[in-house]
Amino acid sequence: MTAKIARRGVSLPRVLSYRRLIMNDPQRSAGPSAPPPLEVIALTKRYGDLAAVDDVTFSLAAGTVTGFLGPNGAGKTTTLRLLLGLAEPTSGDALVVGRRYRELEHPARHVGAVLESNDFHPGRTGRDHLRVVAATAAIGDDRVDEILELVALTSARDRHVKSYSLGMRQRLGLAGALLGEPALLVLDEPTNGLDPAGVQWLRGVLRAFADGGGTVLVSSHQLAEVAQSVDRVIIIDRGRILTDAPLAELAIGTRTLEDVYLTVTAGPR
Amino acid sequence: MNGQLASEVLKVRTTRTTVGVLAGVLGVAMLATALHAFGLPADKLSAGGDQLQVFIDVGSNMGMLFAALAGAMAFTGEIRHGTIRPTLIGTPQRRQVVAAKTAVNLVTGFLIGALASGAVAGAGTLFLRARGIDVHVAGADYWELVTGGAVAAALWSVIGLGVGTVVRSQVPSIVALFVWVLFVENILLASFPEIGRFAPGALARTMAGQTSGTLDSAVLAALLLAGYALATIAAGALTTTRRDFA
Repeated sequence: MTAKIARRGVSLPRVLSYRRLIMNDPQRSAGPSAPPPLEVIALTKRYGDLAAVDDVTFSLAAGTVTGFLGPNGAGKTTTLRLLLGLAEPTSGDALVVGRRYRELEHPARHVGAVLESNDFHPGRTGRDHLRVVAATAAIGDDRVDEILELVALTSARDRHVKSYSLGMRQRLGLAGALLGEPALLVLDEPTNGLDPAGVQWLRGVLRAFADGGGTVLVSSHQLAEVAQSVDRVIIIDRGRILTDAPLAELAIGTRTLEDVYLTVTAGPR
Repeated sequence: MNGQLASEVLKVRTTRTTVGVLAGVLGVAMLATALHAFGLPADKLSAGGDQLQVFIDVGSNMGMLFAALAGAMAFTGEIRHGTIRPTLIGTPQRRQVVAAKTAVNLVTGFLIGALASGAVAGAGTLFLRARGIDVHVAGADYWELVTGGAVAAALWSVIGLGVGTVVRSQVPSIVALFVWVLFVENILLASFPEIGRFAPGALARTMAGQTSGTLDSAVLAALLLAGYALATIAAGALTTTRRDFA
């Protein structure tokens, strides 16, 4: 991310110079005894006979970006909903900084999450959307304006969200997730609708976030993009984890992440 | 101020929905008042009791309907637009979300009810005089009409919120509320008046000053209506706490 990128008259800002805006959580400098940003323990969600999430266990280390991959219906989004407290697990636990999500007092100060690219009231301005989100964690308007600058929406901040492109909505969602300077980012398909410049920009934001000690869990189908932006890969299918390894151990020589993905998810469906 | 409450206040202030509901109730209340004041035969409008009854019917019905609509939309709108996800991710203690919405809707419902009853009282008086009919409604009756109408609409807004929270879908919630107020209660009142006077719409009219076929006490009516509101919102809080959100 070296050059300023012109984009529909809006410049996506240089990411590295904005690192201080993304993260500033004292929790990140906690010692080695601090709980992991995310710990998922035997997490299971059953709908009748169907196990949408089946005995899923993994833990994320601070300062890493993890790709969460799997076919449609594999259980990715259900897992994310369980760890964000939107759904109740049948059994098992998901702990964010050592606590169940619903027990966090100001979750926005620990976790930033985007599950859908269009979770906005169409008749509310982008800035007001962020103010509504910020209010729950007692975050002031200064931070709202700062984060709007980071995601290059300052010039569009007083427009209704219904006039935003999909890429702008993705950036607004990310802005909402970053508002509370969280330690953990959970993003479901954040590159959908982003153009190549936007994808590159997002990659820079996530890398800067992890370099500052933050942790990212990002689900995606864009394997080529994932291969460029993550440290570690978790592949899930039919609710079970099939692969959990550093990217460097999976994509070796001429074997690509896509080869690995298609091989491990190739069983009968 | 509690963070979730601040967020809910911002929600109603940052879209045009609330202004739209207020404009809607004002317009519909004025129209209905005009239709009654100019459409009914003059001999049905000459007595003060008849005049007040028209004001109560129109003002309290419009107030509670639009307040219930606003209450239902406070939750179903979040489901419809998907903002329920950021809302619950921001405040996973769901009872706090329901409590904050209840507090905000008590205020918006009160404003809607005051506007509806106030508009009917003001416009009704003007329209009747314009038709050459002397108005015999006392000052205390106006006062009860507007304050009773406002408090009843505040409680009805909570009932609407509770129904919306349980049903979740916007159109079925609103249809259910309208069918109840406009059809079910009328049938109940006509067929079983002894039971019908305890229905939430009849209680709202009692609070606005109706005296025939109602409970004797407006305060008792308010307490009973508050009981309905509490029961509905408790059901909403319970289902919201237990259910998964997609």
